[in-house]
Amino acid sequence: MNRREAIRRVGILMGGTLSAGTLAGMLGGCTAQPGDQARTLTRQQSELVATIAERIIPETDTPGARAAGVHTFIDSMLTDWYGEQEREHFLSELATADEKARAMFTGEFLDLDEAQQVQLLTTMEDEALAAMPLADPERPPLFIAMKTLTLFGYYTSEIGATVELRVMPMGEYRGDVPFEEIGRTWA
Amino acid sequence: MSRPDLGALNIDRAKPFRSTLYVKFYFFSVPESFVPSETIHIITVYKNVSATFFRFNKTEPFGHIEPFDPSFCHRYCLVVQLGAAVTVDLNESRGRIGDVVPEQYGVDREESYTTRIKKGSAGASKNWVPASRNFSLVSRRFGAASQTRTPYMIAKNVFIARRTQEHDAIVVGSGITGGYAAKELCELGLNTLVLERGRNVEHITDYRTEHKNTWEFPFRNRQDGRRYEELFSVQRRTYAFGEHTEHFFINDKENPYVEVKPFTWIRADVVGGRSLLWGRQCYRWGALDFEANARDGFGVDWPIRYADIAPWYDYVEQFVGISGQSEGVASCPDGIFLPPMALNKGEQVVRDGIATGFNDRVLTIGRSAVLTRPHNGRGPCHYCGPCHRGCSPGAYFSSLSATLPAATATGNLTLQPGSIVHSVIYDEEKGRATGVRVVDRETKEVREVYARIIFLCASALATAQIMLHSKSNRFPDGLANDSGALGHYLMDHHFEVGASGELPGMEAYYYKGNRPNGIYVPRFRNVSAQTRRTDFVRGFGYQGGAWRPGWERPMRGFGAAYKHALRTPGPWRMHFGGYGETLPYYENHIALDPNKTDAWGIPVLRIQCDWGENELAMRKDIAQSAAEMLDAAGAKNIETFDHYTQGGLGAEPGLGIHEMGTVRMGRDPKTSVLNAHNQCHDVPNVFVTDGACMTSSACQNPSITYMALTARAAHYAVDALKKRDL
Repeated sequence: MNRREAIRRVGILMGGTLSAGTLAGMLGGCTAQPGDQARTLTRQQSELVATIAERIIPETDTPGARAAGVHTFIDSMLTDWYGEQEREHFLSELATADEKARAMFTGEFLDLDEAQQVQLLTTMEDEALAAMPLADPERPPLFIAMKTLTLFGYYTSEIGATVELRVMPMGEYRGDVPFEEIGRTWA
Repeated sequence: MSRPDLGALNIDRAKPFRSTLYVKFYFFSVPESFVPSETIHIITVYKNVSATFFRFNKTEPFGHIEPFDPSFCHRYCLVVQLGAAVTVDLNESRGRIGDVVPEQYGVDREESYTTRIKKGSAGASKNWVPASRNFSLVSRRFGAASQTRTPYMIAKNVFIARRTQEHDAIVVGSGITGGYAAKELCELGLNTLVLERGRNVEHITDYRTEHKNTWEFPFRNRQDGRRYEELFSVQRRTYAFGEHTEHFFINDKENPYVEVKPFTWIRADVVGGRSLLWGRQCYRWGALDFEANARDGFGVDWPIRYADIAPWYDYVEQFVGISGQSEGVASCPDGIFLPPMALNKGEQVVRDGIATGFNDRVLTIGRSAVLTRPHNGRGPCHYCGPCHRGCSPGAYFSSLSATLPAATATGNLTLQPGSIVHSVIYDEEKGRATGVRVVDRETKEVREVYARIIFLCASALATAQIMLHSKSNRFPDGLANDSGALGHYLMDHHFEVGASGELPGMEAYYYKGNRPNGIYVPRFRNVSAQTRRTDFVRGFGYQGGAWRPGWERPMRGFGAAYKHALRTPGPWRMHFGGYGETLPYYENHIALDPNKTDAWGIPVLRIQCDWGENELAMRKDIAQSAAEMLDAAGAKNIETFDHYTQGGLGAEPGLGIHEMGTVRMGRDPKTSVLNAHNQCHDVPNVFVTDGACMTSSACQNPSITYMALTARAAHYAVDALKKRDL
């Protein structure tokens, strides 16, 4: 997305209450890695990652993983953070989503309807948990990798930390506050 | 030209050292294979063509120095191949040139210069000038003995020392002890020079990630995986390192060391050192700790007792500002505290459970150098959490927030960042150190600075490294190292062992604010006849805390229900992590690597350290006792953990960042380096007050003890100076 679109989208999402610094940070991110032009993932792969992430943390009364840009974050992890082998492993695991979709239904993951996608992911979770503990924690099955990256990417995003959860306020420490006074988990 | 009486080159010490510079050049022709035949203090051989410096003495070749490295070519003999020049600084030369350059290599030519340098004329900014400039200056202004200059002599990168203004005191390092030494010495009226290897950072201005949101970091304040693997392969092992603090840490790639066994050396590389990054926990040692070595025979006896240091704990605590709760526990004496921070609901329950279940254990809020009310011009904590990013109100104690400003206020402080101390200069005739050699971090120029007393506060390993590297005829194995203890008896606290569990109930309660502090359970093992163990000596304390896990808690599932479930935090959990005392073992030691030097020509360290049987036996009890306390507090699903792996990472020495013991104090000069006042037995004007001085490790976090010892030593040193004992 371009800068103007970024401002617009962010404005919608945040109800127009973004700090200038934050906005600059997001725009900086956009400049380096346009959301629709992921650097490691192909357009197709990016859409697949975004869709799986959205199934893990869907939009409800608050925005979900896609709106929080989790797929962009994952692409940046793959590009700049992961080593060669981890990246290759992730991409080869990603391909299994379509294989499993074809085996269980007809068509690739993105061709399935939402209920089918959820059903498939549930199966993948069952398989992953049955295989625990992981033989190699750096080579997790797709579901584990996607869930870990999605939760991390979502809850450390501005949307995840401020709209879905709450950022710990500064000023004082109280060790036994009624939860109802706060109402949400701290990010 | 006939060979002069080279023996006459011995020092003429009747001349005032400070104001006069003598330089004499001799031009020899020596073959490639030339090696000094006799021990001389240090000789520098300069191969003119390749511009490579070598240094030799009889006992040890010092190794290769980088091309164009000016190290040492200024004060000693400079032998240049083919039409060679030898410079001798008459003031410093130990040997006789005739002992070094055999008779068959006749002197081709001799030139000597004498100049006077006006006091204070050498600016602090440029204490070194290339020989060429210096000598044209010399000959023009003062007239040299010979007007003939040759191309050899003015080869660039030959540097000559100019005497700089002498300071009363030099402090090496600006971390928690260097800062404290600077404050005390300056306040006691000494003109004090602080040398810091790291770059300058300013209080407030350079806290560039303070209050930055997680999503503003490229990797959400996770580490930058690939880059860190390359540049910070060691620093990344500590919790405090990350995208938010990397600018304070040392670059491992440029500053390597050799891990003979896994040893994590966490280092800052800025003014303020690790005082910017520390955990801020402050616990006094008990009487038992200073008697421990004498009682069970592991290690030499401390030359001091609790009564000696108690007033100095009072003294530093009042300046530092430590929040905490008095508990009347003998193994961890109460101090002068600011109001304590609050325990949270879960910790209150565990405290009560322990009080009911055990008569020998107490859970208290951590005693932390974080202010809970305004103190000495610094503001109280605002509970943002990650102190190590820097704190603008100065709520946590650091050299930047507290000691260096106090030192600066006296007008007596000179702080020189980017100054890597190479070695201490020892004067054999005086039996004193006269100053230190400093390599400029950027230009790699060497300069010398002089003072009446020197405080080494560079951190346990770096201080020992400097001393090991300060070799002389008198101390061929390192400064003040008659005992052979220098570099040995390396200790740390062993940790990453304990237990955690779930605390049922209390789900109506949560907490607010990010408290930069946890709980503490003072030592309760081997503190009395009733608590004596047969499986290990000494003891351990616990740190930890209670919390409610958030979105990161492991939970099956995904989707809308999962997302909404995470809106409520998980059940309370309690964590205990032990910090155990380590015994001083001779085998746990550091040495200079014979082959590898860093970018400044200084030999890198080889570190060899591992836990012994006592530590490993103690770890079993640490895990077990933690589980017992959790059980007494009604916790469920209790799990013990121990991250130590033999020969691997996880709970390796160094990770506790409480490394200490390499320049230990003691009563006997034959078995220790320092006396009861942190003063070298053998070099009375050199003091070591950082963690290197520790004779045993106890199990308490050590910084407050380092600070108390530093203040005590500084006052002793200044008294001695006044009495002309130094």
